[in-house]
Amino acid sequence: MKPRLTLRWIVFAIAAFAMNFPVLATLITAFKPPGEVSRNPSLWIKAPTLENFATVLTVSDRLNVYHYLWNSAVAALIGALLPMIVAFPLAWAMVRRGTGRSVLFPLVVNLRALPLIIFAIPLYMMYSVIGLLDTRLGLGLILAVVNLPLALLMLVNAVAEIPAEIEEAAHMDGARVPRLLIKVVLPLCRPALITTFVFGFITAWNEFLFGLMLTTRDAVPMTVGASFFFATSGGGVQWGTAAAVMVVAALPPLVLGLVMFRRISGSMVAGAVKG
Amino acid sequence: MTPGRSVENALLAGPLVLFLLAVLGFPTVLSLVYGFSETGFQTLTAPEFSGLKNFRDVTADPTFWQAAWFSLRFGAITALLQCGLGLALAVYLAPLARAHGWTVAILIIPMIVAPAMMGLMYRLVLHEFAGPVPHYLYSWFGWSPSFLGPANVFKTVVVAETLQWTPFAFLLFLTAYQSIPQDLREAAAVDGTRPWRLFWKIELPLMMPTVFVALFIRFIDGFRVFDNIYTLVGAGPGGSTTSISIYIYETFLRRGEIGKALAAAILLFATAFVLLSVAQRLLRGRAP
Repeated sequence: MKPRLTLRWIVFAIAAFAMNFPVLATLITAFKPPGEVSRNPSLWIKAPTLENFATVLTVSDRLNVYHYLWNSAVAALIGALLPMIVAFPLAWAMVRRGTGRSVLFPLVVNLRALPLIIFAIPLYMMYSVIGLLDTRLGLGLILAVVNLPLALLMLVNAVAEIPAEIEEAAHMDGARVPRLLIKVVLPLCRPALITTFVFGFITAWNEFLFGLMLTTRDAVPMTVGASFFFATSGGGVQWGTAAAVMVVAALPPLVLGLVMFRRISGSMVAGAVKG
Repeated sequence: MTPGRSVENALLAGPLVLFLLAVLGFPTVLSLVYGFSETGFQTLTAPEFSGLKNFRDVTADPTFWQAAWFSLRFGAITALLQCGLGLALAVYLAPLARAHGWTVAILIIPMIVAPAMMGLMYRLVLHEFAGPVPHYLYSWFGWSPSFLGPANVFKTVVVAETLQWTPFAFLLFLTAYQSIPQDLREAAAVDGTRPWRLFWKIELPLMMPTVFVALFIRFIDGFRVFDNIYTLVGAGPGGSTTSISIYIYETFLRRGEIGKALAAAILLFATAFVLLSVAQRLLRGRAP
């Protein structure tokens, strides 16, 4: 038993190291002084420093990390909350009354499997006409579409787990549907709502393609903004600074994801298997 | 059902339906109009009907077929690699995962990192002068391949995608594996069944539905890949890593050929639709 377990630890260590290697190397590079990166590309830091983070967090006329972070936060918030708001009443109607079970449900759930680029071009054209191009709202709206399938799926599952008797009791007391939904069903769905929100926020934060296509300056999200640090304006990439900006960009979803790790992994599995 | 009730149901479904119509319905109409029209960024408001011209342009473009072939190969290879590795890891590390839940958290970190960021990180990691991978290869073996050169770039992006998304397969398989009733395994142990045989004859067949789901999801994601390849190498040397998504993006924003890009997107949609219907029919056929 003992030697086998040791072997398992070794396999785990190798897998963890290989899969997390880019993250690890980036984290280490972020703490190297600018001059050291090219002289010492190893995984060892000779003189650890916070200089790169100071550079990243200093606003220049070309790059403004706070702006990108704010854009990402607002767009991701819209992208996570909106699908829950529109999906919640339908999820209840689907479970209790079968509304939209045959058409709407498969339609929405299958959206998840479509290549997103299909929607990016017509959206670009529509946005440029109605003035949503390069706005946080415009970006948030399409991120909401990305999150809609999983939100609907998870809310349907959550409502289905509520015993019908609880609702019937409220119904007897004369509660009408809107009141029933808000006072009874919503609180009972709380765990699912939190999971859906966190998962949606991470997905929206990490999205890149729509940020790249639908924003240019005012609403650039963090993922796209980080890639600006690689666009060299003469000279080479400042690797230390680039590494630090990636750490900053990856930190919010990582912290959220690891804190909520059990719920997140559970919802990933549920979303995959039940979809 | 009373009429009052169906109005109520419509109201309950309303927000979602309106939202979909606004954000996807209208663009879909636009797609169809412009897909069959002659347009550039200058004549955006005055599309001129041109029939199937855009579709002929796309299907006559060798780059389109090259991109389609790339996406197909990339999706298939990465899905197989991820599911193979994920399955092996899940089954082998299951005892560890059960006793120490945090090990699972460590293994799924790559999934929480944005694919676009992962692509940028690989740019650092593989960089000739600043990257640790070439550095260690040089100091240990005195030689390092050019990871992003024409000869190796396909392998590089496949490995990068595989390492980021094997955790997804791992997680699905781990859950499936742990939900196999323990008494099945105990009964097999009493019968003297060897672990290897237990896996092939009992555990794997029980996990087969999950295997299909994982393969399918990973194939779809690989087929439509954009973020990580785009940030790592862009279209690649000689267009060698142009996936279908990158092809459409470049046709649209770089070359401004709106009609052609939309025609390609419509073809892609049709393909995805057919694939999806077939896959679902197959999966449903399997379900008891």
